[in-house]
Amino acid sequence: MTAAETDRALVERVAKGDRTAVRLLFMRHHARVYRFVARQTGSELMADDIANEVFLELWRQAPVFEGRSEVSTWLLGIARFKALSLLRKKKEDWIDDDDAAQVADGADTPEVVTMKEDKAAALRRFIDAMPEEHRTVIDLAYYHGQSVSEIGEVLGIPVATVKTRMFYARKKLGEALKAAGYDRGWP
Amino acid sequence: MSAAEKMSRRDKMEMLLPFYLNGSLEGTELEAIEEWLASDPAAMAALGEAEAEFSGTAAANEAIRPPADALSRFARALDAEAGPARAPAASSWLAQAWSRFMAVPAGVAWAAAAVLLALVVAQSFVQTGNRGGDFEIAGSEDDLAKMPFALVKFKPDAKLSDILAFLDQNQLKIAGGPTADGVFRLGVPAETAADYQKLLDLIAAQPFTEAALEGRKPADGG
Repeated sequence: MTAAETDRALVERVAKGDRTAVRLLFMRHHARVYRFVARQTGSELMADDIANEVFLELWRQAPVFEGRSEVSTWLLGIARFKALSLLRKKKEDWIDDDDAAQVADGADTPEVVTMKEDKAAALRRFIDAMPEEHRTVIDLAYYHGQSVSEIGEVLGIPVATVKTRMFYARKKLGEALKAAGYDRGWP
Repeated sequence: MSAAEKMSRRDKMEMLLPFYLNGSLEGTELEAIEEWLASDPAAMAALGEAEAEFSGTAAANEAIRPPADALSRFARALDAEAGPARAPAASSWLAQAWSRFMAVPAGVAWAAAAVLLALVVAQSFVQTGNRGGDFEIAGSEDDLAKMPFALVKFKPDAKLSDILAFLDQNQLKIAGGPTADGVFRLGVPAETAADYQKLLDLIAAQPFTEAALEGRKPADGG
């Protein structure tokens, strides 16, 4: 039985009121959900609250889970929705077009600082400095192992938009690295 | 013409590389990437760059550490929402023994470990008629706290002698538990993620194991 299959079986048990099953799902997925929210909101305090809420929502919604998506995708979708709702309540402008300059800004740091870093450190710094909408696509693909269509489901955007965001995310990353002296041949 | 249609072949391949690396690509897109990797000298270098992004993203995420008490707080929130949990249904006597043990204040508990060990081994002897193995409950608390671990639930009808022999053979240590649901935290003596996975698979494959889940992997776990 694959991890995805045991996840579904556990959700079926949760739907019947099995608390052990929901705790097992918590142990299996909590860290990734927590990190996903922390990366989106920039707040571990918020991530703590929201991640807890996600699993309470799992407890409530398990009877209506249809299994059309992976449980991990479903949980990330709930987390995304809750994070957005909370951020809107706090009236924080979490997708700010001006953020698009952040990667370039990262590349503009004094050369002496950049040259002290190795490429891996620079890469990580640029990933962290990406606009949220680009970094989230990168995180979902590289860290959460999500497919194009699953990312579309989590973020509520078309597949073509996922691809476009991935394209620009990687392009800007390449540009930032190039500006820091690490030419990787593309773009 | 859409933005995607205006892209060069290289652009399209670069866009798809992350999904090739995470194993989710299929159909014509997978074929296109594989054909590109086989035919374009620049493709392997591009794949290497994407792998570096993969590692960087994993490191950035893994640097975020969820609170250690998250599960217990969630359990309380769940109880508040759904009402108090039922007592564990006919859980194994081993789980009950551990529950009693873990309820003792920490200082007393560790001093009592040797006594419990003796009881456990003696019980094993009574049940099986054989000599119990040198079942190691724990090292120091610090050692266990740093050790990779897995979360394991044994079947209620599991034989203690089988569990003890298995733990002993594989140098596994009970580092905590059980929870109200009978879940134990097992210290896993693995130095690499691959070793950890082998041991986790081995635990899961035992006839007395009801569930075995990944807890903390060694640092190279990515």
